[in-house]
Amino acid sequence: MHSHVRPSTHIALRLPSGILKLVETTPNTNINLGKFGTFNSNQIIGRPYRLTYEFLEQEDPKAQPKLRVVPAAELHAEALGSDHAAPAEAKDDDAPAEGGVAYDIVGEDGEVIMRNNRLTVDDPSRQTLSMDEIEELKKAGSGSGKDIIEKIMASHLGIEEKTRFSLAKYTLRKSRKYLKRFTVLPLDIPILTEYVTEKEAYRIMELRDDSLGLICSWANIHSGATSRVMTAEDGASQIGGGRWLVVDDTGGLVTAALAERMGILYPPTEEVSSESEDGNEEGLPAEPNGDTPANTTPAAPTAPPTTTTDDTHMPDATTDTIAGAPNGPSTSQPRNPRKPRQQHIPQSSATTNTLTVLHSNNQPNLSHLKYFGFDSGDPTPSHPLYTHLKALSWLQLLSPTDDPTYFEPEVIPEDTLNTLKSSKRGNYYRKRRRWERTKRVVDETRMGGFDGLVVASSMEPVTILKECVPLVKGGGQVVVYSPNVEPLVQLCDYYSKERRTAYIASQFGQQNGKRKQNGVDEEEDEVEADDEDNFPVNPTLLLAPSLQTARARQWQVLPGRTHAHMTSKGGAEGYLFTATRVLPIEGKVEARGLRGGKKRKTGTDTSTPA
Amino acid sequence: MAPAVSPFLDPGTSSSANSLGILQLKRDHLIPTVLSDASSTEYAEGNVVNTRFGSFTHNSLIDKPWGTQILASVVDTGSRGGRSKKRKREANGEGPAAEDAAGSEEPVRGIVKAATTASSGFAHLVPPTPETWTLCLPHRTQVVYTPDYSFIIQKTRLRPGDHIIEAGAGSGSFTHAVARTVFNGYSGLEAPEEDKDGQEANGTTSRKRKRRQQRHGHVYSFEYHKPRAEQLREELVSHGLDPLVTVTNRDVYADGFCVDTEDENAPNADVIFLDLPAPWLALKHLTRSPPPPAVVKSIASDPSTPTAEPTTSTSTPQAPKPFRSPLNPKTTTRLCTFSPCIEQVQKTVAAMRSYGWLDIEMFTMEHKRLEVRRERVGLAEEGLRGANPSPATVQEAVQRLRDVEDRAKVFHGLQKEKQEQVMRRAEAKKRGEKAPAAESEADGQKKKTEGLPPSKHDRLERAKKESESRALFKEGRLVCRTEPEIKTHTSYLVFAVLPVQWTAEDEEKARRKWE
Repeated sequence: MHSHVRPSTHIALRLPSGILKLVETTPNTNINLGKFGTFNSNQIIGRPYRLTYEFLEQEDPKAQPKLRVVPAAELHAEALGSDHAAPAEAKDDDAPAEGGVAYDIVGEDGEVIMRNNRLTVDDPSRQTLSMDEIEELKKAGSGSGKDIIEKIMASHLGIEEKTRFSLAKYTLRKSRKYLKRFTVLPLDIPILTEYVTEKEAYRIMELRDDSLGLICSWANIHSGATSRVMTAEDGASQIGGGRWLVVDDTGGLVTAALAERMGILYPPTEEVSSESEDGNEEGLPAEPNGDTPANTTPAAPTAPPTTTTDDTHMPDATTDTIAGAPNGPSTSQPRNPRKPRQQHIPQSSATTNTLTVLHSNNQPNLSHLKYFGFDSGDPTPSHPLYTHLKALSWLQLLSPTDDPTYFEPEVIPEDTLNTLKSSKRGNYYRKRRRWERTKRVVDETRMGGFDGLVVASSMEPVTILKECVPLVKGGGQVVVYSPNVEPLVQLCDYYSKERRTAYIASQFGQQNGKRKQNGVDEEEDEVEADDEDNFPVNPTLLLAPSLQTARARQWQVLPGRTHAHMTSKGGAEGYLFTATRVLPIEGKVEARGLRGGKKRKTGTDTSTPA
Repeated sequence: MAPAVSPFLDPGTSSSANSLGILQLKRDHLIPTVLSDASSTEYAEGNVVNTRFGSFTHNSLIDKPWGTQILASVVDTGSRGGRSKKRKREANGEGPAAEDAAGSEEPVRGIVKAATTASSGFAHLVPPTPETWTLCLPHRTQVVYTPDYSFIIQKTRLRPGDHIIEAGAGSGSFTHAVARTVFNGYSGLEAPEEDKDGQEANGTTSRKRKRRQQRHGHVYSFEYHKPRAEQLREELVSHGLDPLVTVTNRDVYADGFCVDTEDENAPNADVIFLDLPAPWLALKHLTRSPPPPAVVKSIASDPSTPTAEPTTSTSTPQAPKPFRSPLNPKTTTRLCTFSPCIEQVQKTVAAMRSYGWLDIEMFTMEHKRLEVRRERVGLAEEGLRGANPSPATVQEAVQRLRDVEDRAKVFHGLQKEKQEQVMRRAEAKKRGEKAPAAESEADGQKKKTEGLPPSKHDRLERAKKESESRALFKEGRLVCRTEPEIKTHTSYLVFAVLPVQWTAEDEEKARRKWE
């Protein structure tokens, strides 16, 4: 995966200015990079990722533009500065060694011989080319943009006075502006995160790479391909199976990041035909895995459905639009009933290695998944997420009987069905399937036993955790992301050691109280209402709640010029609440340790009180 | 011996014997233990983990649902049978950790006494994860902590099914983290749980025909230090991760990264992580084609290279060995180096540029943990623990000053009265009269002090009494701040990528196909 550019996938292009542009590689289409130029998608399809291309100079501006792959040495030479304009390998090597720089600064007799900025004149008139002239140059130039840069540099009066470093900086700045280059990048989570952050960070709750990495680690996200779903001690609830519960208000970015770590984000690569042609056998790294054949079968699935559900073979409507979206004809599936029918793969039917998304609207907002070939409104059955992604609304979770899709639609006998019009029949099947899917997902979710809970939501976290923490298995991880610290501070407080002690005391008090005074209902109600305020969540269910934040700071590494970047993006710091779900023992538990001797201080010990 | 599935990847519902479990006492106080139901020579109750929150017998930890709160047991730690002096020292010196080496204990008595539950003390039994392991692993070298490895995994796009080279395995925290990430099934036994329901079985047959063999994720770990490599290997076996990790004891500067296994292309790496003192010396082995000797020489002969550099690397004649790239030729190779010093970074980056690595970026990770607490301030907190008893508001301060003044006034008055009384008495004595009754005066004194603000002693008493009925857990201002100690610098993280080799012929082929 992500070795070569494939047709009809989303890719990212990095322009010299550093800006990212997302495009889809539809064959035979022109990709327009604005002032940088236009090229045909076929010029990059089939080529490896991470190459940098440059538009070649051409006599005829109307001709098909030609691209050239810029070698690494040339790219580095520009970054390093003027000394390395000629990309000779040997020269490139000794450049970074400090020797060169030291020579520049101090001569043999200790005399300072480095040029400095004493003579620099800050005046726009030093550039003799006028803006109009530069515009002219830009219009005339059809090539890589190097000629423009050369002319601009040549017309700069003070270029000789510039220090080496400032000249390098100047050249770099001009290259960013005028070079006609782009780098082809695979559209993966870090690139997508960067892209959305630049444009509309609020849509992904200002998540950064570093926060996403932390979320995935702390939530213990990994492929559950071989995990087993097991029955808990009580014999009813299930446990494990590589299933994670997600509350995602980032338009699906968190879901995508988790799916990537589980190996179910990218569609199976359909390279078999293309690669075998030129004998370039591809090693298929990280093929989506899982134990249902459904997700691994390519476009024409022959494997029978795997689930144990009562899924009847439904002859029509291969794509199952989520929750009654208007029935648009699926583009990828043959609709002709005459053709040998495709087996229907029930959506969201995988039992292990799954993500269950809780959403607050009628439909989940997973729009960012479209970049990975998954449209949550009209999913392709060949995509791993088709079976491994489950979605249900809060209403369906908390009160399924209030949701109409949870009720079984009327069963029409086969005979009557055959007399119906095909459109009606299709509708009938669609409804049945929707019900089956909803019921399956809702029942399964309510049984709990999830491996972990990941929350990135604008909703009050405590209300989410109240409902979701009980669904996590013992020893499972709970991770809550928030762009701001305040909601998580509040959350920590609800799980604080002091509150936990008080909660246990109140539980005991209530038990004793009930025994003593039966009949005084009013007072009890009051107590309960009070408890709801004091203990919105059961604080004994989470162990070691902690709060953390991380930020990666970028540095510039150039010979003699290594330092942290001068500016970077501010905004939300991004905080993470992590805790482990535990199973408290019934009854009173005495703590031990830190007794006597030492002064007891609040907040030093998270586990002393029960 | 090793469990079928690693508890790191699928711990199951509950703990089991001969598998790793982690006893969590406090947030950062965790004790890893390979649980054993065998009897022990030390305790009648079998193997025991001793902590300052009580003793926990292995038997009370086995077959417990993960996450269970475990009560401490009564264990006679004073009179162990058959203990030697050496054992005692071990147990005293290293505390519970000494008990982890339970493997050395030979079952002598065979019968394990059932332990009774102690009156106090508890811990939680949690399944191992790379995060909990990182917090409690035996330190051998500097540990790569969670914030760093999370970012590295994210930046290098490590995914299930990838192959990763890790050089400088060190304490193994990174090894565990990446083993989890690349895991997508064990090679050899494809999806071992596949037969769990019959329907899947018939699915696999048709699937196997359709699909080329799935690539399984793997970690190729290199460690220069032999005992450390051995220790890591043992650890991985006891953690059930050995099928995912190949540990090699080798000097990678000299001998590179190619390993000889069934897979002739191994390591066939997609991602490389170098936690070495001189990563630039290892880069010559991480190329797609033999590097030009001039480049190798210029990098190796850098005068500032540490003298620790093995001289054998240049002197051993290795000419006959044909070049073999350890990189996966079909994917972009992602590289990360982890160096604490900026000089190392500069050399590494220079070498990366010479070898044609691209998108070179350097980061430092700033991570901090925050503590949340309630800060109670006010005169009502006088004498209470964990609070600041100074006035909370200006009004409170003024009131307190008034109170003090009021009390002082009354007491001065009383003092004066007393003095006058003494004088009067003395005068009366002089005159030979009988002293007036003292009792009535005492009454008057009481009356006067009644309306007064309470004394310090009374205040403390009252605050203590009131605190019992107060809900202290929700009083005060909720604050958060950085924890007392933070790691301000771990290491510099340098990232780079090496694209797939692309020749003119390849380009010609692609052009013919697509244009």
